[in-house]
Amino acid sequence: MDAKQLKQFLHTEGATLVGVGDVTKALPKEIVHLNRGIAIAVNRNLTRETVDQLVRLQTLAEGWLKANGHRSLSIPPDSDRRKDKLITKLYKLFCHKTAATCSGLGWIGKNGLIINEQYGSKLTWATVLTDAPLGPDKPYISSRCGDCDLCVKHCPSGAVQGHLWSLRNPLMEMVSYDKCRSLKSGRTALKGKPNCGFCVTVCPYSRNGGARK
Amino acid sequence: MADETRKKEILDKLRNGVIQYDEDACREGAQEAIAEGLDANEAIFDGLVSGMEEVGRLFEAQEYFVPEILMCADALYAGLEILKPHCKQMDLGVKGSVVIGTVEGDVHDIGKNLVKMMFDVAGFTVYDLGRDVPLDKFVEEQLKTDSELVCLSAMMTTSMVGMPKVIEKIKEKNPNCMIMIGGAPTSKELADKWGADGYAEDASNALKEAIKMVAFLKKLRDEKAQKK
Repeated sequence: MDAKQLKQFLHTEGATLVGVGDVTKALPKEIVHLNRGIAIAVNRNLTRETVDQLVRLQTLAEGWLKANGHRSLSIPPDSDRRKDKLITKLYKLFCHKTAATCSGLGWIGKNGLIINEQYGSKLTWATVLTDAPLGPDKPYISSRCGDCDLCVKHCPSGAVQGHLWSLRNPLMEMVSYDKCRSLKSGRTALKGKPNCGFCVTVCPYSRNGGARK
Repeated sequence: MADETRKKEILDKLRNGVIQYDEDACREGAQEAIAEGLDANEAIFDGLVSGMEEVGRLFEAQEYFVPEILMCADALYAGLEILKPHCKQMDLGVKGSVVIGTVEGDVHDIGKNLVKMMFDVAGFTVYDLGRDVPLDKFVEEQLKTDSELVCLSAMMTTSMVGMPKVIEKIKEKNPNCMIMIGGAPTSKELADKWGADGYAEDASNALKEAIKMVAFLKKLRDEKAQKK
């Protein structure tokens, strides 16, 4: 089974990044047979209909896998907001960050978001889990944030803790989500929009990506 | 009424739609069934449910896993939603309503939802209390709705211990009410000990039991049709 072919296919269909990760260790028993995670990312600058675009890419990947005789489970980019179907119950069993780090497309930054070397955190992610024996990419096992703490300094709610992520403790809380949420809901009440995202925009990796494009 | 070949085509579409978890096919099949005057009950039982029976078999043969089962169930619901309003009340002597929920402290509800689906299919009125339901709510709801059946589900041993209390309370007030329990930590022995009338171990077993139940209804209906 050739992962290259699938990647190329998804790239021509508009994916910014595609990676395959061995996610065996992160699977609960309901989906333990789906041990490859295909992480698909779309650069948010590309199109406003990012979510639709990702769902379309997922469906294409599913079709490709099915045609090759393999099972798959798509976890859509907005998985936390979907509750209309039974299958949505499985979405919370797996997170996009695991697929992204396992497929070597990024590490978890101090800001708690996936950081890709070229695009920073300005990406939207979707995951397709499958039992197809695709050759996995080399995973990230630790953070590359180094001494940089711009997001810690700029966070208006003081939520970003400044921890360095590593696979040894993948579930460490990087950001105090209560603080982050209360700031955003306060602003939403005031202006109708959360208006934050400093931790994305100040990240040098996010800015490099913008400049290069 | 459409001719036999066309009818079979539509039923196959519904059946295969469920098996291949194709929601669009199920919706299309259901619409065709209505447009061409097929009996809605027949479309449900010989189309959708017949597909779900095959899904149960595929699950046992380990060709399908939990994600596939849930996607098949979603496809079944897609068809059911369209067919349901056209159903005549099935006259089987088993009209019924059921109270169903996952007991307090437990938020796992995949099995519960599969069982609920089969009740929906069978034409029961389902009072779904959801998950993490306080024990007294079951008793209250049973009394309020006068349901013949109460289904309790738990995935964790810690939340399971609430079950006998509910069973006792319901039986005390309403000895004729049937009670089914389900979930990984339950067993036939526990069901007997606590005075529950039925038991299913996990989602797939629950599905199997529920399919059996619905298949039985189907048999009743067929027998009745023959007598006519």
